[in-house]
Amino acid sequence: MDDRKIQIFMDSLLPLLKAGVAYTVPLTLISFALGLVLAILTALARLSKISVLKAAAGFYVWIIRGTPLLVQLFIIFYGLPSVGITLDPFIAAIIGFTLSVGAYGSEIVRAAIQSIPAGQWEAADSIGMTRTQALRRIIMPQAARVSVPPLANSFISLVKDTSLAASITYVEMFRKAQEITATTYEPLLLYSEVALIYLLFCTVLSALQHYLERRLARFSAR
Amino acid sequence: MIEVRNLHKSFGDLEVLKGIELSLDKGKVLVIIGPSGSGKSTLLRCFNLLEMPDEGQLKIGELALNFDKGRRPGTREVLALRKRTGMVFQSYNLFPHMTALENVMEAQVTVQKKSKEAARSRALELLDKVGLADKAGNYPHQLSGGQQQRVGIARAMAADPEVLLFDEPTSALDPELVGEVLKVMKRLASEGMTMVVVTHEMKFAADVADQIIMVDQGVIIEQGSPAEVLQHPNHPRAAAFLNILTQREI
Ligand SMILES: Nc1ncnc2c1ncn2[C@@H]1O[C@H](COP(=O)(O)OP(=O)(O)OP(=O)(O)O)[C@@H](O)[C@H]1O
Ligand SMILES: [Mg+2]
Repeated sequence: MDDRKIQIFMDSLLPLLKAGVAYTVPLTLISFALGLVLAILTALARLSKISVLKAAAGFYVWIIRGTPLLVQLFIIFYGLPSVGITLDPFIAAIIGFTLSVGAYGSEIVRAAIQSIPAGQWEAADSIGMTRTQALRRIIMPQAARVSVPPLANSFISLVKDTSLAASITYVEMFRKAQEITATTYEPLLLYSEVALIYLLFCTVLSALQHYLERRLARFSAR
Repeated sequence: MIEVRNLHKSFGDLEVLKGIELSLDKGKVLVIIGPSGSGKSTLLRCFNLLEMPDEGQLKIGELALNFDKGRRPGTREVLALRKRTGMVFQSYNLFPHMTALENVMEAQVTVQKKSKEAARSRALELLDKVGLADKAGNYPHQLSGGQQQRVGIARAMAADPEVLLFDEPTSALDPELVGEVLKVMKRLASEGMTMVVVTHEMKFAADVADQIIMVDQGVIIEQGSPAEVLQHPNHPRAAAFLNILTQREI
């Protein structure tokens, strides 16, 4: 590496990190939080006895899982204006990623709820709980623990997937790298640099995931 | 206290209970015995509607339910019945994310809407009764099987039920842990708790039961005092079943 490249690398580091912290991280956190709520509601709808709810939730998961995320983002950002709905790139990205986390997350939450032994429902029934009470007090707290490892994986995937928002003009970390490349003509350097920062973020998150899983294991050694 | 008339229950094409009739007075202990698959658990689970009978009448305390002509109790009646009963499961089914104390508090706080303090003091009293006052803060996985089952008994009693239902409460336990659970059950019986117990523990049945029924293929083939049923069975299959049990015990 020559001095010029080292200089470009150093000069880009701060803008990239800034874009990461100011744009990639909020997009990830907000989409994940909203997506999680949607995932839980969808999972409950799919497990409910009300067939309309069940069908609606199943339809939603089918659509989202069966189409590429990038295409969904294009429909939301470039497609919707032709029916009069024009969205800010940030909002469009939030909607796209929330829908995605909601659909994939609902499968995780549903599997977790179904993995709780029938005896737990029966014990809750036997002490006179309603279905809602049983879910809230007995089933969901246990399902939450079961869901942590797969949801943590989804979260880490989401961090990387947010780079797709670059394609709908949202200037997060990857788009920032593209912009710097456009002026410096160093694609290999800049894209490797941004890859390194993603790697750093994900490594920190993996460590957190391990810590969380170890803590949870203390209560559920069964 | 318990009245059962002409109770029927099928799973698909399989008729598991074929017209069960029985009654039990307050403060008495009924033991249900019978071969595997005869319908003992199903019958017991009909008492708190974990299984919904297809036909017949069921009365627990003042609450009478009629299942004839496809009638089904509404949610409110189901919950009312469950508040009158407590159940102890073969595999304990404690809530693994709660301590022993929290397990016993749960029904009081969530179902009975008691204050935390009131629930806690009642739960501690019950844990003391089953000999586990010092284990209140332990999670289920930190307890032995016998201890878990005693927490299960305390949990079942927490909401002051009129009847306690036991489904083979000692079958999952190592032999050396069976005694501590039976001792607690004996004590409850002597204190006047109304109990229905499915068990293969013949000594317990002989000592504690006021009434024994033997179920076989969904019908009651023997019914009476322990002496009548255990020593002088009338039905040939009852005699054969008791033979197997006694041989196993020797
Ligand atoms: N939910 C269910 N669905 C279908 N069949 C069932 C169900 N529950 C029980 N059965 C069947 O009903 C019959 C009676 O079962 P039950 O559990 O009441 O027997 P049991 O007398 O308690 O036997 P065990 O001593 O083995 O516990 C068995 O043939 C069993 O396979
Ligand atoms: Mg059984």
